[in-house]
Amino acid sequence: MMNHPETYSPSPAIAEEDRILRTWTPLMLRTVLIVSTIVLITGIAATVLHSSGFYIERFHALQKGQMHATEQFSTILRQAAAGDPHAIMTIGLYILTLVPLVRVAFTFVLFLKDRDYIYVAATAYVLSGLLLGMALGRIG
Amino acid sequence: MLTILGGLLALAILAGFVGALSGLGGGVFIVPGLVILAHVPMQVAVGASLISVVATSAGASVAFVRDGWTNLRVAIILECATVTGALTGAYLAGVISQPVLEMLFALMMLQSAYYSITKHGDELLSQSDPICERLRLGGEIPGDDGRMTPYGVRNLPGGAVLMVIAGVMSGLLGIGSGALKVAAMDHLMKLPLKVSSATSNFMIGVTAGAGALVFLSRGDVAAAVAAPVAIGVTGGALVGSRVLPHANVSYLRKLFATILVLIAVEMGWRALSGR
Repeated sequence: MMNHPETYSPSPAIAEEDRILRTWTPLMLRTVLIVSTIVLITGIAATVLHSSGFYIERFHALQKGQMHATEQFSTILRQAAAGDPHAIMTIGLYILTLVPLVRVAFTFVLFLKDRDYIYVAATAYVLSGLLLGMALGRIG
Repeated sequence: MLTILGGLLALAILAGFVGALSGLGGGVFIVPGLVILAHVPMQVAVGASLISVVATSAGASVAFVRDGWTNLRVAIILECATVTGALTGAYLAGVISQPVLEMLFALMMLQSAYYSITKHGDELLSQSDPICERLRLGGEIPGDDGRMTPYGVRNLPGGAVLMVIAGVMSGLLGIGSGALKVAAMDHLMKLPLKVSSATSNFMIGVTAGAGALVFLSRGDVAAAVAAPVAIGVTGGALVGSRVLPHANVSYLRKLFATILVLIAVEMGWRALSGR
């Protein structure tokens, strides 16, 4: 955003990388954040309007340590499409959670485009570590 | 019902704001906040916390990336160490006793807090050391006069070792370990504090994102709590990251130290009470 070539001039490759990063990453982040926020607020609004009794019941059940049963992703999608507030909120949470993984993947493509192979390898290592962790079900 | 929602939102907005400003990620406030104030069990609090860490990270990143604070090369290189540590930590989770770890963690936090208030000045390294130079880890930040000033980076091996430890802690305790990440980059590698905060913010999001996906797919995230918390934290983080470029660095260090002491007390209490 602030370029002062008279004081410091990075190489063209780095300047280009910087431009892409500063333009596209915030745009991507903002888009995903806005989408997930809209979905989450829709879910919360639907809860307030249509099932506030259910929400209070759920909250008290949670305080007693009763979790919601695990559901298939396809089931959640179907329920969300049918207007179930809980399913809509869950979808919003999924969208939000994908942000950092998409950012690492985005970084991978950027380094690949730059033919910056040390960083391509490093990013690939991070991505495969994350996928392995998810597969093992134990990370973070 | 509006009281419950309003309370969760207020708690989350505050956590997001402080989380973004300190680079800690907000999760450390959400867990005790939810457990003590909202009376929900740890399992629910940790699930919502992981989501909120991702939300803080994403919200804060918008301004961080645009203003050029995030050092992506440093983040990726160090994330290699963090991921390795996180996987090791997850594997070790069943072997080491939890109170011992929590006490160790509390002591480390106190040490970081001590470093934060004793080390002053935010002078930049003019030259990277040979390894960091080879990896082109240096960057540039806007100086006081608005001109871009290049900064160097040093001690990658030292930083990487701390990142492995931070990763192990994440894998073991389910937290972002943001304080340790900032300490490694700020104190050992001599990155400017604001760059450390922004870069740590990105790294926390990556690790917590993977954790949150696991929680979500296991059905361990309670949407009734996590949804309002995610909204509040995102809002708080957006405001926090807007304030950061105008923030007073020495004030930030004091705030950061206070937060570290609070986490240490919380962790120490957990260890001693055997919860």
